[in-house]
Amino acid sequence: MKKLIAVSTLALALAAFAGAASAADCGKVTIASMNWQSAEVLANIDKIILNAGYGCDAEIIQGDTVPTLTSMVEKGQPDIAPEGWVEMVADVMKRGVEEKKIVTAGHVLTDGGVQGWWVPKYLIDANPGIKTIDDALKHPELFPAPEDPKKGAVTNGPAGWGGTKVTSQLFKAYEAEKAGFVLVDPGSAAGLDGSIAKAYERKQGWMGYYWEPTALLGKYEMVKLDFGVPNDPVEWKRCNADDKCPDPKKNAWAKENVDTVVTQAFAERAGPVMDYLKTRSWGNATVNKLLAWMTDNQATGEDGAKYFLKNSPDIWTKWVPADVAEKVKKAVE
Amino acid sequence: MEWLSKFPNLSDDTLRVVKQTIDESFRAFTRAYGEGIEAFFNPLKQFLIASEQVMISTPWPLVLLAVGLIAWFASRNWKIVAGTIATLLIIGLFDMWDDTMRTISMIFVCTLLSILIGVPIGIAMSRSNRLQSIINPVLDVMQTMPSFVYLIPVVMLLGIGKVPGLIAVVIYALPPMIRLTNLGIRLVDHEVIEAADAFGSSPWQRLKNVQIPLALPTIMAGINQTIMMALSMVVIASMIGVAGLGQPVLRAINNQYFALGVFNGLAIVGIAIIFDRVSQAFGRRLQKHREVVHG
Repeated sequence: MKKLIAVSTLALALAAFAGAASAADCGKVTIASMNWQSAEVLANIDKIILNAGYGCDAEIIQGDTVPTLTSMVEKGQPDIAPEGWVEMVADVMKRGVEEKKIVTAGHVLTDGGVQGWWVPKYLIDANPGIKTIDDALKHPELFPAPEDPKKGAVTNGPAGWGGTKVTSQLFKAYEAEKAGFVLVDPGSAAGLDGSIAKAYERKQGWMGYYWEPTALLGKYEMVKLDFGVPNDPVEWKRCNADDKCPDPKKNAWAKENVDTVVTQAFAERAGPVMDYLKTRSWGNATVNKLLAWMTDNQATGEDGAKYFLKNSPDIWTKWVPADVAEKVKKAVE
Repeated sequence: MEWLSKFPNLSDDTLRVVKQTIDESFRAFTRAYGEGIEAFFNPLKQFLIASEQVMISTPWPLVLLAVGLIAWFASRNWKIVAGTIATLLIIGLFDMWDDTMRTISMIFVCTLLSILIGVPIGIAMSRSNRLQSIINPVLDVMQTMPSFVYLIPVVMLLGIGKVPGLIAVVIYALPPMIRLTNLGIRLVDHEVIEAADAFGSSPWQRLKNVQIPLALPTIMAGINQTIMMALSMVVIASMIGVAGLGQPVLRAINNQYFALGVFNGLAIVGIAIIFDRVSQAFGRRLQKHREVVHG
């Protein structure tokens, strides 16, 4: 009995010490919020859990995939990128990991990120023959280009995104130009969303790059076109993801790993926070549901994070030890 | 005392309902009138496409020659002509010719449209204090409202591309045209107008032969400002898919291609300086003529 008390006292003392140490070690943390909803809400969830549960002084800074991850490798800031689409910036990631500047803390989306060419569902209902990209490319008249209605349009992603480069290469690979299509640059993510919303509200044809999980796909029902071929990772790396490669082949977009990326310096000092980041992950269904709620209620990332922490404890309490969960619960009430 | 430390705002629910109602009604409006509004702007779209096609398909020596001639006739100044040609040559050398032509075409149409809309409104405003007090706040909104606020609704109505870009640019570039036309006409000496009235000129004659010529330096300054503001909107317009020098700038920002951004940014500056010097010189020449005639 004495022994037991001694051991448990020691354990308690250690725990208290560890707690104090973690608070002291955690200190200032910068979390990158990206300019799409799922990353934004996750950054806010991390901020609340880190601040309330682990006693950090976490701040959110705005970013975008390429600049943020590049900055993490080059400058060691920000500390955490909660939703890093790492395969989009494979070169930067590889260099960063090799030079011991960044580490990944596991897959944050259990289902992974899904990217591809999407068309509105009403269009498929009206033309059930369209299943693959090749099918769709036979009908330029269904997807009139904004500046030349005689041609069809494939709307690309925002300038500078990894998915935009891939879409340009796939456009070449599927010989869309020969089929009478042009590749339209929407300029920005807002422009891309706007063009989908416009087509959908007016029941017009639309085809282009998009990805999930996203609120837009929760709101507007879209169908991802089949690529008609299986994924060939070697060929993908050689040519599909490199916009300077002259001869891309048809290829399928693989489900993408979406990871939490952390700077090496932070990973070394973070301790228990690192364990949290490693266990935290969610499925696309959860994310879509949350994003749909946010869109319906015009909620910000912060509102969404609070709503999620208040209403889905069954999911997030598994990410943290019980004492941390209690603190977070108190903070969001 | 909570009402003192926290502003008594509308409840979240009320605000949400207000926002949702506005969004929903805009969506209904889009559904109902989108086609019609798009058809209304179609001639403008065709004009924009045609103007861009002309600029791009014309062989570059011809474009250089034409720009050189315009610069010469506007300014009669060899230095300005040489500077204009040199700037365009450097732009071409750095492989930005096509994008530059697209941007020049866009700016040209925007400026033309701003003058066509702005000068009449400015004249009307100079004649009525009440109209001035109505239009001024509208101009304030146009100049200060962040562009993206109205860009996305415009995209939902008209899709991405040239016309929504043009609308965004014109909204931003129009106010100086209106304000300076108004100011120029109001600043015309009252005694001169009395003299014109004494000689029995009709209101139209007074406007055409007295007020506008005397206000011309100010109106030219307005055109100059309009061009500058239109050019500064090039990058914003490219965020909704307007082709031109803005697109490489955006790509540079998103990928941190430092050199690409600087090259294209400098090309925009180069065009701005060409437009500025040529139009300023033209304005000065107009003034000189007047002084010769009257002096």
